[in-house]
Amino acid sequence: MRRLTITGLALFVLAGAAEAAMSRGFNRLLEAVVRIDVREITFEDGAQRFTGGIGSGVIISADGLILTNAHVASPSAVEISVTLASLERVSARLVGWDHWTDLAVLRLDLDEVRRRKLSFTSADFGDSSELYSGQTVYAVGTPYGLTRTLTRGIISNNNRPFEDKRGVNGYETGLFNTWLQTDAAINPGNSGGPLVTEEGKVIGINSRAYIGAENLGFAIPSNIARRVSTELVLHGTITRSYLGLVPRELQDLEKFYALAVNTGMLVDGVDPGSPAARAGLRPSDVVLTLNGQKLDGRFPEQLPPIQNAIASLPVGSTVRLGVKRGGQTLELSAVTEKLESWVGAEWAFEKWGLSVRKVSRAYARENQLTDDSGVIVLGVQPGYPAAEAGLARGDIITKVGSEPVRELDRLKAIYSNYEAKPEPQLIEAQRNRRISLYVIKP
Amino acid sequence: MNFRRCLSLLLVAVAGVTAVATPLTDLFNERLKSVVAVEFFVQDELERHPVGVQGTVIDTAGTIILPPASILPAVSPGQLKDFKVYQPGSTDAANAVYLGQDPLTGWHFIRVEERLRSQLVPITNYPAIKGDPALSEELWGIGLRNRDESFMPYFLSGRVALITRLPQKTAILGNEVAGPGLPVFNSTGQLAGIAQTSFGQSYLLFSRNQNGNPVLLVNVEESSVVLLADEVLPYLGRIPRSVTGRPIAWLGAYGLQPLDPEVAKLLKLENQSGVVLSDIMEGSPAAAAGLKERDIVLALDGQPLPRLKPDHVVPGFFGQEIVRHQPGDTIALTVLRDGNRQEIKVRLGDEPKLPREAERHYFERLGLTVREFLASDGITQRIKPSEQTGVIAQFVKPGGPVGTAGLQPDDWVREIDGVEIKTYEQALNQLHDIDAGKQRPEVVLLVSRGGETSVLRVKLN
Repeated sequence: MRRLTITGLALFVLAGAAEAAMSRGFNRLLEAVVRIDVREITFEDGAQRFTGGIGSGVIISADGLILTNAHVASPSAVEISVTLASLERVSARLVGWDHWTDLAVLRLDLDEVRRRKLSFTSADFGDSSELYSGQTVYAVGTPYGLTRTLTRGIISNNNRPFEDKRGVNGYETGLFNTWLQTDAAINPGNSGGPLVTEEGKVIGINSRAYIGAENLGFAIPSNIARRVSTELVLHGTITRSYLGLVPRELQDLEKFYALAVNTGMLVDGVDPGSPAARAGLRPSDVVLTLNGQKLDGRFPEQLPPIQNAIASLPVGSTVRLGVKRGGQTLELSAVTEKLESWVGAEWAFEKWGLSVRKVSRAYARENQLTDDSGVIVLGVQPGYPAAEAGLARGDIITKVGSEPVRELDRLKAIYSNYEAKPEPQLIEAQRNRRISLYVIKP
Repeated sequence: MNFRRCLSLLLVAVAGVTAVATPLTDLFNERLKSVVAVEFFVQDELERHPVGVQGTVIDTAGTIILPPASILPAVSPGQLKDFKVYQPGSTDAANAVYLGQDPLTGWHFIRVEERLRSQLVPITNYPAIKGDPALSEELWGIGLRNRDESFMPYFLSGRVALITRLPQKTAILGNEVAGPGLPVFNSTGQLAGIAQTSFGQSYLLFSRNQNGNPVLLVNVEESSVVLLADEVLPYLGRIPRSVTGRPIAWLGAYGLQPLDPEVAKLLKLENQSGVVLSDIMEGSPAAAAGLKERDIVLALDGQPLPRLKPDHVVPGFFGQEIVRHQPGDTIALTVLRDGNRQEIKVRLGDEPKLPREAERHYFERLGLTVREFLASDGITQRIKPSEQTGVIAQFVKPGGPVGTAGLQPDDWVREIDGVEIKTYEQALNQLHDIDAGKQRPEVVLLVSRGGETSVLRVKLN
């Protein structure tokens, strides 16, 4: 009985100490967290449609810049409204997004803020490199639409690799950074909200969690968020270099490749037609040096920084790769290209009930297409001409009549001719490299 | 199944009680001599899989045809073991040998041992229906129970619901009329055709957790689909000259796609069809003749391709017309290219090695069967013949060393221990060494799957 009392007392004291520490910076941070409502356009199912989503964000500057996730606010957003801590709603626009790190920057409509005499505070960043496992952190956000929800946990791991080729609304993410892992409860709607220290410093942007698992949440470290947001504000986008090698950790294979410890990164795959392929790099090569710098890629968490080092090179720069192939050592050189997503531009042709996406180079490589010409059918509306013709999701349209369709604009031009003068159109499309013909009739 | 079991028991009971023979009863008993049950094993790396099918006797030499689907395409003749033939109602097994598959009809041919031959009657002994059976005409056939019921024969009948070309003339009946592979007759005992493998039938499944989901059911014991006698009798002489079914004529065009009627209309092709050639294999007869991707074949030897329903029957028709020829024959194709018609003569070649003919070898310690890289693998892996190296994983033992490392059947193995595989023999040599080297802890494979490559580390101990 007595022991119990003491324990209870000790807890009380500890809690009191934590509260005292939190009170200063923490309230200011809470004032900087916002709810974000987004209306966006989608091109699924053969039509242009609008959908809505809810996320979170944090104001990071006095002039109204907001940091959130790329999967909350993307270029397909047509209307973004932000709910401030004062429960006032203000509109915002997208400054830039980067799906590779799942980050987006918005700017509050400052005219509206001034006109309506609203006020807000901004949060301060902490240094994510100083985090340690076990450190107490808090997540703030809008899980399931529950505005201003605060959850608490610890840093479970401060260097988690996590790559998802379709992770941000179908776009690639996580190749160039590691993540903070936390057991602070993170649910849908927490996305874009900050992960903060007891002092209220933003050390991460909450991004994703394993659904159905217990408390396995992931956040983008603030040091990456700072760098990315600065660049997005300056250029609206982030340009990266592409080599086309798929790296893999060397873990346990050092002996097989007869390597000295702490060196090398295994090449698991080489994208066909990529700069790495043209340079002669082959799967199962081991890259020992990159521009003279030794590489250590023995463990999965060491790969994103290496990928980032390649991506950070200027586009068109020459990369020297020191490569071990069997018993021999080679020096290969490749010229980087601009990194592109596998997701191409999208559009809907309403009268045909057809929505499409441009074939990207990455898509062409993945699907072993001869080149990146054509558009992929995203969806067809039942009962509309494209569906009646027999076109289906996944078909690649390469020709209309006798005109090759290399670019999306070509198809848009053909469509506007059709709108002016509807006539049957002979469509050539391929699926699994089988070429079929279809007729779209008015 | 239970329903049919009851039905067959009922039939027996009825026959027992009334014992009034109709003309059909006599015909039924007489024609039982033309049908057999056939059992054999498919031997794979780990076990033998028993297969039970039904066949029809076609001559006095004890030759029996089995439906095309009796044996999967990748199974090599060497894997087929212990063919046994049973007469209806008997458990007396007679031995038989596998003669091969005919590339045109797809039938498998077997020949039963001497002692049973005198008890068998070929279906050619019965007159065939002149022309097609009439719509609504009643046809009947024989079904056979399983081995545990001594392959007991039973009577089935149904009426002709539809006659169509798929591309062969086929009658579809209102209900099951015979076991697949067994003959079907009219009321006077004339041969109407041979029952094919049954079509799938769509049902809606209602259960506690499924609310009217469509399911496809295939009756493997009985069929309502009958290949008509005109499509059977002329081809019974196609007994394979070799167990591989060779010679087989080869064009070398792949991904044949039909034209739908709307497209045909827009291209001003009245009352005929065509096929689009999606892929021309490098070095094939089609390539040598100058055929190109996207060419639309409109006619073969001056005969326009017919319009058949559904559309996808047309490529099947075209493929069969090619296989009717012999390697070395020259055919004339009328093709539409960029809106212009032109005639292209193609000298057909010899079909490249088929999966069932491929050299293969099982490595027990690795739990892996590799087989040589075939022209058909070049199509699926999208690799030009000039760039084809490596071997294909034909079989991966579940839980075996390569299986645990993540190798899957049909993966393309391109390097073993960092050495590029140039030939099948080289792969065999390397794998033999690895299989024999008891001290060796691991092997590293470079593998491609769907265009993506990966390094696999296989632990051997």
